[in-house]
Amino acid sequence: MAPIVTGRFQDVAEATAASKGMPRERFTYIHHPVSNKPAAECRKYIEGNDPLTGKPVIEEIVAALTKPLSEEEKKTGFVEKPRERLLKPDTAQNLERQFLENGWTDGLLIALPTEQRVSEMLKATSHKPDEIVGRMMPSPAQGPWKYTVEMVAANAVMAGAKPKHFPVILALAATGQGSLPSSTSSMARMMVINGPIRNELKTNMGIGALGPFDEANAVLGRTWTFITKNLGGGGKAGTTYLGTFGNNYNYNNLCFAEKEEALPSGWKPFHVQKGFKQGESVVSVFNGWTLLNYSAYNPDPYHELMRRQMVALEMSGAGAHHTPGVNIQTAGMLIIDPVTAKALKEEESFETKEKLSRWLTENVHFTMWNYWNAMPDYLKKAKEGVQPYASLLKRAPESDSPLQLFSPKAGVEIVVVGGETNPYWYAGDFRYLASASIDQWK
Amino acid sequence: MKKGTGWLQIGICLLTCLFVTCTQKPEQRVITVLNPVGSPSPTPLIPMAPRLDMLEGKTIYIVDVMYPLTHQLFEEIQKVFSEKYPKTKWVVKSKAGTYFDDDPKLWEELKANAQGMIIGVGH
Repeated sequence: MAPIVTGRFQDVAEATAASKGMPRERFTYIHHPVSNKPAAECRKYIEGNDPLTGKPVIEEIVAALTKPLSEEEKKTGFVEKPRERLLKPDTAQNLERQFLENGWTDGLLIALPTEQRVSEMLKATSHKPDEIVGRMMPSPAQGPWKYTVEMVAANAVMAGAKPKHFPVILALAATGQGSLPSSTSSMARMMVINGPIRNELKTNMGIGALGPFDEANAVLGRTWTFITKNLGGGGKAGTTYLGTFGNNYNYNNLCFAEKEEALPSGWKPFHVQKGFKQGESVVSVFNGWTLLNYSAYNPDPYHELMRRQMVALEMSGAGAHHTPGVNIQTAGMLIIDPVTAKALKEEESFETKEKLSRWLTENVHFTMWNYWNAMPDYLKKAKEGVQPYASLLKRAPESDSPLQLFSPKAGVEIVVVGGETNPYWYAGDFRYLASASIDQWK
Repeated sequence: MKKGTGWLQIGICLLTCLFVTCTQKPEQRVITVLNPVGSPSPTPLIPMAPRLDMLEGKTIYIVDVMYPLTHQLFEEIQKVFSEKYPKTKWVVKSKAGTYFDDDPKLWEELKANAQGMIIGVGH
């Protein structure tokens, strides 16, 4: 085999091959990017040199196919990295520098995980320190890392969490979902807490719930970053993290609680929608990119405004450019202030979250220009006069196409939160990933 | 060594330690912390497949993993290599689905018909 990769992705290509047990894979690199480049330019890349080694690309490909294997390339066995439980003793100042320089933090000051602090954290769970909590993959292509209760506790201490927060953090870690996905598209993750623990921890679900105002929201969100980087092997820029811009949501990972007490009657809390009991405490995690703000000051019904607003998500990182309507990543989310939720129920007859979700899933469509752009085969058929595509050519580029933006499987998730100041909402492209019981980790 | 001398030496050592500890500035104190970093599961090494003795007479598949708008690269690889190595059969194949998806049928076809593969992820 002779694998070819564009030069921008050398680190990730080699790290991925190593994690799959092929650390000596014979890569050939070509100029980046290739996407949308004309054939003549691609030919130049092939006939030119590898931008990293300076050797001719053709020679490297031929060598990858025909050069006899070295002894190293024939090796079998296991690669295992030994791990010490404690770091070498040092001064606090030096250790803080070590944590920062090794990329174990988010760049901000941390609390060092001394044995005493970690021991205090461990008192908040009945689970043993050496119990495996979960497994997390650095990126979708790489093998999983596994981690214990004690390892999670060390990272919780670093983020400034208190023992009372620890069961939520363990549940979060048990989902196996990291907060820093490796896509070049700069994804974000979101965590929503439901159940009695919201009030026990004084989690913010009112004014400023998604902002930097409260301890629980701050430390829980921050711990997720540390778990991802240190226990899941993710978040290493260039190898396991490739987001071009990064996403500012990553700093706190959009950590908040649903304001269950303000849900209109008939609207279930999010965790109940996912099959948990009302009295259970649960953390749920989501993946997405974008939140669009709206406040309804005009006379149009809210659900119609939401529909129009969500059409704009065809331009977000929701995977629409790959396989519109089919890609599992095409999902929608609404974060709704209780004022809006009440009006949706009482004035617009959405008696349940599910009814609103279904209506939006059925009525938010790709626009025609994107429909043709994403599916050139259909455009070709339309120009050849093949129905039903040919008749669609009469539609204006900005009008609705027949294709729904959100796949029925993913749909539109709805969470109610906010300070009840005005009829606000956020519409976003966040997809539900998983939920985990917090009570099980007490 | 006399018994009394031994106790004296131990006493001096303890006093010295106490003195050093008490007079040390907080920022100079050495502490122990837990390692916050986990480790990957052990990775089994996979020996690489034997290489070809020559290209002549062989069939090589050129597989496009289907990153959007990069297929032209693979067509060009096929053209360039066909010109340079005309005694080798160079076959361009597009993997099924998006670049997220596996394509077991193609791998079976490749095992049956090809002696080598160039696989590419344009980007």
